[in-house]
Amino acid sequence: MKKRLISASPLTLFLYAVLLFSFLGSVYFIQHNHGFYDQPIAKITEATVEETQELSDIYGNDDVLYTQHLEATVQNGEYKRRTLELDNEFSLSGANDHEYKTGQDLFVFIDSASADEAALSGTIDNVKRDQYVLAITWIFVLVLLVIGKKQGFYSIVSLALNAVILSYALDIYIRTENANLLLIASVSVFLFTVTSLLLVNGLNEKTYAAIVSTMLGVFAALLLAAFAIWTSGGNGLNYEEMQFLSRPYEVVFMAGLFIGSLGAVMDVGITMSASIFTLYEKNPDISIEAMKTSGIEIGKDIMGTMANILFFVYISGSIPMLLLYLSNGATWPFSFSITLSLEIARALAGGLGIVLTIPIGIFTSIFFIKRKRAAQ
Amino acid sequence: MNVLVILAVMLCMAMVMIGGKTGAISFLSLFLNFLVLLGTVYMMNDPANDPILWVIIACVIISCINLFFINGINTTTLAAFLSTVITMVGLLLFILFMSDLTMINGFGEEEVDELSLLSLYIGISFAELAAVVIIISTIGAITDISISITSPMREVYLHNPGMSRRELVQAGFAIGRDLLGTSTNTLFFAFFGSYLGLLIWFKDLSYSLGDIVNSKIFAAEMLTILCAGIGIALVIPIASWITAFLLVRKK
Repeated sequence: MKKRLISASPLTLFLYAVLLFSFLGSVYFIQHNHGFYDQPIAKITEATVEETQELSDIYGNDDVLYTQHLEATVQNGEYKRRTLELDNEFSLSGANDHEYKTGQDLFVFIDSASADEAALSGTIDNVKRDQYVLAITWIFVLVLLVIGKKQGFYSIVSLALNAVILSYALDIYIRTENANLLLIASVSVFLFTVTSLLLVNGLNEKTYAAIVSTMLGVFAALLLAAFAIWTSGGNGLNYEEMQFLSRPYEVVFMAGLFIGSLGAVMDVGITMSASIFTLYEKNPDISIEAMKTSGIEIGKDIMGTMANILFFVYISGSIPMLLLYLSNGATWPFSFSITLSLEIARALAGGLGIVLTIPIGIFTSIFFIKRKRAAQ
Repeated sequence: MNVLVILAVMLCMAMVMIGGKTGAISFLSLFLNFLVLLGTVYMMNDPANDPILWVIIACVIISCINLFFINGINTTTLAAFLSTVITMVGLLLFILFMSDLTMINGFGEEEVDELSLLSLYIGISFAELAAVVIIISTIGAITDISISITSPMREVYLHNPGMSRRELVQAGFAIGRDLLGTSTNTLFFAFFGSYLGLLIWFKDLSYSLGDIVNSKIFAAEMLTILCAGIGIALVIPIASWITAFLLVRKK
């Protein structure tokens, strides 16, 4: 172990030190940040279930409802260190409630009327989740660095960078009146593609070909989705699940489709350009026909799995809602169209983007190779 | 005409035109996967069935479809199958532990209004469903990486039969690392795309950083994205070890 540390370059050692320092610093901060919140936070010291009630509804669902009495100590603000009594109701299934346990931190509202009494009373607002969000972030960073080394580091940087670009783009959308979300999404998609592909591949013709084919591929997916919606008059798409938005949800859906298919399309774009450029580098005299045939062969192998990846990511999120509708006596077709139509449309359009990027990637790479040949 | 039907027909045509028979099989497997998912939901709809048990069964069937149905049964697909299932079970335990701590079970604030007419007490554990959602979202990517590691590893071993198990594992790691960047990107953007509405909603409400980080929806999104990334990374060592073990033992 010692030997390994010594053999590491100063830069690597420095990076490890920064990592260790930020890890310790952030863990310490998150454990002691109660004072930074304006809202009172209380730590549960005792939790007892006082009442149990069995429930069953008209659809034959059985559940159990519990009433829980909590004692907690206030962690910040003017009532710091005072005892607080709280009541909580939770169900066995927990669709919109939680069972609280000793040691958890909760955001609470304190009744001002109870200020003079021995124990304060109040109501629960939310769970303090910041320390767990931090913990999972660190586990993610460490796992990716340990297993992926340099490539893992690039994945983390690319995730962080893309999240910042997305957040900034959405800020512009929110702040600008009559902003065109699709235009903003197109610019962001271009930035996402350039940053991600440059990080993975560096500055070279392979990357340029991949960037061009990715952009053409996602736009093709978007156009085909728009075409399908236009010819059918939007029939079959149910925007029920986006109704919490006070914005035109068709546009938000299209922008989501656009950004969502980008990663998979990028993957196909870089695979196509990398393999065709490898063919060319191995045999600079290779014919255009041979490159096309090999390109199609490679594309065939990857299109199924890539479409699958998108499909599972999109569909999975709807499972709880689908179950809720089914348990409430809704028929399969109705539950299906309310909870799954948008996800399936996204998955299919993304799949189209993936498949179309195969020929697009082949032709773009061949175009770049032809230009290179002409220059020689 | 229905949008979904038009899109499905277009996708099927594109896959067959470009991929021929392989394209047709790819489309068919997509459809089969969808049926398996619906079957799983059907089983979970009965509160007597354990969602965790059924998600493991679904993972096994889905990996069978994606690995054996498309690529046939051989050492490579067998190794990929084993690594997928082991990674899934490990990841599942980790997610159950984390989602229990983070309390992300159930619906978010943005969904609750829509649900006011429904009975929420349906006897199915939403804490377990939260883990089911994360696991299902990564299954496609994890089978993809495991087969993309095991099949070139076999090629490497066939060309260099004298390789030790240790060297073969290292070759597997190198192959896996090269896939890490693009695969995590694929998942991240898919999640960004499906969370776009929620993100806009957050921004519209002008939540403070503290409000966002502690809210159930944000914590659930982070947990999903990061666990998916962890799963993709974890399958690299698991697939490398299993393939090396199976190949070198055979000698």
